[in-house]
Amino acid sequence: MTKRRIEIGLLYSRSGSYSLISEACRSGALAAIAELNADPGIDLSFVAVERDPEGNVDLYGPLCDEILSETSARHVIGCVTSWSRKEVIPTLERHGGTLWYAVPYEGFEASDHVVYTHACPNQHLLPLLDWVIPTHGGKAYLTGSNYIWGWEMNRLARERIVRAGGTILGERYLPIGSRDVGRMIEEIRYARPDFILNSLIGPSSYEFLAAYRELGRQDDHFAPSRCPVLSCNMTECELPAIGMAAEGMVAAGPYFRGIEGWPGKGRFGSSHEAAAYVAVRELARLLSHRPGAEAMSLSQLLAEAGTDGGIIDPETHHTVLPAIIARVEGGAFRLVHRRDGVAGDPYLTRSAQSPVPPQLRVVSS
Amino acid sequence: MRRPIRIPELGGARAVILHRPHPTVQALLRQLTAIGLEVVQCWPELGADAMGADYVFFDADMGHDGMFPWPAGQPPMPMIALIGSEAPGRIEWSLRAGSHAQLLKPVGDNGAYSALLIARDAFDAQKALSAEIADLKRRLEGRQTVVRAVTLLAARGKTEEQAYAQLRQMAMAWRISFEDAAARIVASRDGTPAGQEGSLDG
Repeated sequence: MTKRRIEIGLLYSRSGSYSLISEACRSGALAAIAELNADPGIDLSFVAVERDPEGNVDLYGPLCDEILSETSARHVIGCVTSWSRKEVIPTLERHGGTLWYAVPYEGFEASDHVVYTHACPNQHLLPLLDWVIPTHGGKAYLTGSNYIWGWEMNRLARERIVRAGGTILGERYLPIGSRDVGRMIEEIRYARPDFILNSLIGPSSYEFLAAYRELGRQDDHFAPSRCPVLSCNMTECELPAIGMAAEGMVAAGPYFRGIEGWPGKGRFGSSHEAAAYVAVRELARLLSHRPGAEAMSLSQLLAEAGTDGGIIDPETHHTVLPAIIARVEGGAFRLVHRRDGVAGDPYLTRSAQSPVPPQLRVVSS
Repeated sequence: MRRPIRIPELGGARAVILHRPHPTVQALLRQLTAIGLEVVQCWPELGADAMGADYVFFDADMGHDGMFPWPAGQPPMPMIALIGSEAPGRIEWSLRAGSHAQLLKPVGDNGAYSALLIARDAFDAQKALSAEIADLKRRLEGRQTVVRAVTLLAARGKTEEQAYAQLRQMAMAWRISFEDAAARIVASRDGTPAGQEGSLDG
C-alpha cells in the first residue's frame, strides 16, 4: 500500500522544570509514529515536525505558529502545563489547527481545537477524594504550584471536601521551580491533617516529598500509611527523580504500569506516554484511508467520521478512561482502587457527582 | 461586603440564543453544548416559553425592546449581550435591556463559560440588592408610624425610652417587625391594640 506522508507537529519542552513529563509524552507519540510507519496495512506515514520551547511558556505560541505556518502539519501533539496550552489555543484557532493534549489537567475547558486524551478532575481528583475521605479522614492540607493547575485543583478540592463534611487546615503555593518548601512542612507539622493534596509540579514537588519523608521520620503521624500525600499528576516518569521519598504516595490516573485495561494493548512507561500514544493512534485512525482528510479541521474530521470506533466525545473532545488509584510500594505503583469507564466531564455538568456520603464526619476530634 | 461567588449548576440548564442564524450562533451553540446546557436558538423575538430559560443570549446589534416578553429592563433571568458594533447607542440599549454580561462577536472558541458565571453572579447580586433596598424603603416609610406609636405608648405615663422598649417587646411577642407592630398600635389609636388589651402592660 502506498503511504501518504503526513506531517504532524510535536511541541514538547526537552529541558526545564517539567521535562520528565514532556519526554514521557514525546516517547509515547514517537512510539505510535514508528508503529504506524512500519504498518503496511495503513495508507499513511507520519513525519514528526519538532519544536522545543525549552520550558519557556512564551515560546509555545510562536513555535506552534511556526509549525502551522511553515509546514503542512495541521495537528500538533504537545504541551504539558495548562498555561502553555492556553497560550497555543489562539494560534490553533487562527490556523484551524488541532492540539492533542496528553496530560491530566484541571478541566473547565472544551476547545473546538483541542483533543484531551488524559484525565480531567472527574477522572482523577474526584475519585481520589471519594476514596481518601472515608479511608483517612476529612482534614486536608492543600499545596500547589502557583498557576492554574494548582489553583483550580485546590478550589475544586476545597469545595468537595467541605461538602463531604471535611475541613481545609491549610493551603499554600510555590512559584514553578521553587524549592522553598520549609514553610509548608512547618504548617503541616502543626496542622496535623489526615492527608495532603499535592498539586506541585517538577522540582517543587520532588523537594516537598523529600522534606515530608523526613517529617514522617520524626513524627509517626506523618507516616504515609497514616497521612498520605495525594497527587493527580504523578506518574512513573517522575519516580526516578524522587526515589525513596515517593514511597507511600497515592496517585490517581488512567494507567499505571502493570495495571491492565487502558489503553488496550501495549505496555507503557507511564500514563503520559500512553495518552500521547493514544492521541497519535486516534489521529491516524481519523486520517487513514481518507485522502485529503489531513487538511480538515478537527470538527470536520469528527463530523464526517461519525463516532463509530472513535474515542473522542464530539461535544467535549474528552475521552472515556478508567479512574485508577494506586500507591507507590517498592518503587512501583500498586492498585488500590479502580472505577472503569469514566467519561470525561470537564465542566462537571454531565455525571452524577460525588458519591461521598453527606453524613460523613471526621473520625478524630 | 462581597458575598462569595456561587458556581451555578449548569448541567441541563436552558439557554436561549436570540440571534438570527449565523456562524456566531453556531460557535456559541457549540460552547454551550460542550458545557452541558440545552440550547434553543430563536429570532426575531423570544417566545413565551423563554420565560422558563435559565440564561438568555441576545443580539445587541439588531435588538429592540419588543423582542422580550417582559417589561423593558426587567428580565427574570441573567442576560448576556452579543455585541458586534461597539457603538455607544447599542451599548446603552443593551444595558437598558438589562444585560448582566457580554460576549463580543464574532464568538469563537471561548468566552461563554465566564459570561455565564459573571451574568449569574451579577443577576443574583442585583436581585439581592433590590430585595434589601425594598426592605429598607419599607422601614424608612414606617419611621413616622414608629414615632407616633411611641408617642401613643408614652402618653400612658411612660418615658420615651420605656415606650420604645415596650414596642420592641410587643413586636417580639407578636413575631412581626418593629414597624408592623408600630402600625398596629397606631391603628388601635389609644395605644391598646384590638384584642391585646393590657396583655403586655406592666
